[in-house]
Amino acid sequence: MRSSPFFHFLLRLLYQQKGKHIGAMVISVLMIFLLSSVLFVSSALQHSMMQTLQGEPDFTVSRVRAGVPAPLPLDWIDEISQLNGVTSVVPRVYGRYYFTPKGDSFLVVGVDMFDEQNIHAISTLLHEVNLQAFLAKPSMFVGEGVKHFLKRHYFSDHFNFKMPNGHFKEVAIVDVLPHNTNLLASNMVLMPLALAQEIFGFSSEEVSDISFNVPNDAEWRTIQNKLQWMFYDVRVVTKKEIKEAYIHLFNYKGGLFLALYLVAMLTFMLILYQRYTMVYTTERKEIGILRAVGWSINDILRLKLYENMTIVGVSFLVGVVLAYGYVFLLDAPLLRQIFLGSGTLLESISFVPYIPFGLLGSLFLMYAVPFLVAVLVPAWRVAVTPPKEAML
Amino acid sequence: MNEVLLSHEVMVYLLSESLLYGLLLLGFLVSLRLLKLWDFEAFTTQQFRLETQSYLLATILLFMIVIKLGLLPYFVYTLDTLSDIVPGAMCGAGVIKANSYGNPLLLVKSITLVLLGIWVTLHQLDLEKKNYPYFRIKTWFFVAIFVLLSVEYGLDIAYFTQIDIHKPVTCCSVIFGQVGGANALPFHLNTLQLLLLFYLSFVLLWVLIVSHKVVWSLFGVLLFAFFAYYSVVYFFGTYIYELPTHKCPFCMLQSHYYYVGYMVWGLLLGSVFVNVNRVVMQVFFHQSVETLQRLSWLLPLLFVLLCSLYVGVYYLKNGVFL
Amino acid sequence: MIEVQGVSKTYNDGTSQAFDALKEVSFCVKKGEMVTLLGVSGSGKSTLLSLLAGLDRPSQGKIVVDGELISKLPDLHASRYRAKGVGIVFQHFNLLESLSVEENVMVPLIHAGISMETLQSRVSKSMELASITHKATQKVKALSGGEKQRCAIARALVHDPALILCDEPTANLDRANSLKFIEILQTLKGLGKTIVVATHDPLFENLSFVDRVIGMESGEIVQ
Repeated sequence: MRSSPFFHFLLRLLYQQKGKHIGAMVISVLMIFLLSSVLFVSSALQHSMMQTLQGEPDFTVSRVRAGVPAPLPLDWIDEISQLNGVTSVVPRVYGRYYFTPKGDSFLVVGVDMFDEQNIHAISTLLHEVNLQAFLAKPSMFVGEGVKHFLKRHYFSDHFNFKMPNGHFKEVAIVDVLPHNTNLLASNMVLMPLALAQEIFGFSSEEVSDISFNVPNDAEWRTIQNKLQWMFYDVRVVTKKEIKEAYIHLFNYKGGLFLALYLVAMLTFMLILYQRYTMVYTTERKEIGILRAVGWSINDILRLKLYENMTIVGVSFLVGVVLAYGYVFLLDAPLLRQIFLGSGTLLESISFVPYIPFGLLGSLFLMYAVPFLVAVLVPAWRVAVTPPKEAML
Repeated sequence: MNEVLLSHEVMVYLLSESLLYGLLLLGFLVSLRLLKLWDFEAFTTQQFRLETQSYLLATILLFMIVIKLGLLPYFVYTLDTLSDIVPGAMCGAGVIKANSYGNPLLLVKSITLVLLGIWVTLHQLDLEKKNYPYFRIKTWFFVAIFVLLSVEYGLDIAYFTQIDIHKPVTCCSVIFGQVGGANALPFHLNTLQLLLLFYLSFVLLWVLIVSHKVVWSLFGVLLFAFFAYYSVVYFFGTYIYELPTHKCPFCMLQSHYYYVGYMVWGLLLGSVFVNVNRVVMQVFFHQSVETLQRLSWLLPLLFVLLCSLYVGVYYLKNGVFL
Repeated sequence: MIEVQGVSKTYNDGTSQAFDALKEVSFCVKKGEMVTLLGVSGSGKSTLLSLLAGLDRPSQGKIVVDGELISKLPDLHASRYRAKGVGIVFQHFNLLESLSVEENVMVPLIHAGISMETLQSRVSKSMELASITHKATQKVKALSGGEKQRCAIARALVHDPALILCDEPTANLDRANSLKFIEILQTLKGLGKTIVVATHDPLFENLSFVDRVIGMESGEIVQ
């Protein structure tokens, strides 16, 4: 491959004059690092959420009384099953169990262990579990965060739940949920439905919600209306609504952050403009020399453009690589607290890399366009320096 | 606040467009001064200064066209991401129809790119001469482009601020679907006739370019683009999606089709762009630009090959056509 | 080769500080001739040289070099004129201090559309002609005055220009280096180059290979 004299000269000049550009590069790398880290975390979380949502049921029905969630009767299952187009109707019991009042808590989820779908899901998650042994005595699966937490409190293979009637219930810890479910399941406990009902003081006929699927999405609207007619105090949430809510939440939070970042970016543009407008005597002389020996204004502009593009490219690459390492190799210390909170149960969550190509494009545009706009007029001003004046 | 404006892609897009428009305004002010005071025959310091200022205008426009060439696919990508929050939209097709500004905006964007390309070519020709013979016409042309770019910027703001995420839009199967005789092909053509005209118009375009029939080749490329658009949406697209009922120009821009839509529409737009540019240079300025000449037949060829490849590969894999 | 017809140059025209650097100067230089413009500081010889180089434009008059009217060339064409046909040696050398000798010498050829290999061979030849090859990789700021001048000469010759313009080339050299420089000029004259030197150095007054001496005073030709 023939090397170009122009690029050879450009690289030599950049190397010799690296001191001139180092300030702009350092700030650029910092800004890109910050922005990329936030967007990488947000993207990873959003992707994990969406992936998890794939496995969620299409509809979840719960009950609201005086604006507060209330248990619903188990016989709603029969009524819902009778609706045309509805499949896999499954009850769930869940709630927050507080280890100490106003202290740490974990999510207890009770599912019907005899339901085919649930058995299949659990077998997929935990390959070696013996379900019969599991159901022989009160047992549970715990998330990694719960496991570590209980161990710190000297509960290594069982935990004593304090029940509403004042008695304790010893429940054995059979297995830990896999690491890759940590984002949602780290502080979760999975147990049989009846056990969860006992722990929360539900009767055997009460559950927290009922979930089901409606394969034909053209029927969703109709099913939602029918449920509203059947039960006056029902609350119906569809998977699509959850997905939209998450997207709105991420957009809202991300958008606010970006808006603030914009202010920082505009300030940086101003600094860049000022810096590159202050063309020192030596630089004016150098440009004058180049023009005197036969370089045209276009040639100088081309040199300046490539100079700036190199700074943009290198800063972007370094910033993005550093952000990738920070988020996906080091699990974003400090930043993770902003996104996930600071509960000890959340320490075992790690971010799964997910960087869509469009995100990189957005990052690049967000940085490169303001940078190049800021340096365009100063670059022109330098390029049109009359050669005679610059050489005096 | 309109939630659409909080989407990352929309923010990045509008920021880029706003910064470019700021530069453009500066260019416009410079152009007014140039038009008022330019006199190449004068030996004054003022004239020399005006010549250097003309370089500022050129730099701004060259920068603009490069960024806008990148922003057009990014705009389309933004529409695609908005389909997640605009109810009823499955791809950019629904989002662009979210209000009445969408389609005009897309059209104005394409036209401004073509015009910017013509300006850049004219500028290169002007520089090559020793007395700036096209200076005034070039600068007035920029003023016209400025007006159009202002309209484009206004449409950008209007479009994104008026997308109502509570109002469902129609998806591409309704906009482009042909179930029940809807969205019939122009001139009541059937698919076979459309394909025939597509390939014939391509051959005609080539013949006109190769035989240097300049003005006719302009009609040739517009005719080719017309049949190409319908062929891609109603025939070649179905081979990209591998579904005979899926007719949409936007879905092929998504990741599950490996973003091939950008290549397809990019090649078609590029073909029109280059041919219009070439014709304008030859007809109005009697200049033949070698690069444009070469690209004017190469881009349509690549476009036709790419589209035909999808059909060919499908047939080879499955032994039948859709 | 060079025709200067009624050339005037006014700085700060249209203001109260307007100053006539050149007043209706006319002369010719034939191809292969060496001409010395002799005059004190402020006589207009450097201004005239910058007009001949296309670095500036006259306020009045015409300058034709090799049949091309260079007095009204736009920047792109003036740059091409310099890049192809003019080599300039400046009073203060005007080298890029942060780069090496060979990097300075290559500068005029960077936009010549040639490969790196061809460029490097031309640079080597030019450095040899100026006797500066032994300092090729050294940074310019570490060179002596005489060495810097030879580097400047190498740069002025690398693109094989037909016209060489020298603006006070010996002003910052000692006598020994000045004489060496004059030797190089003699060699270039022998190679058929057209040379115009603007100077007030008395060393140039009685050189045998100088075809003509043009005296200048207050922007006018006096002899």
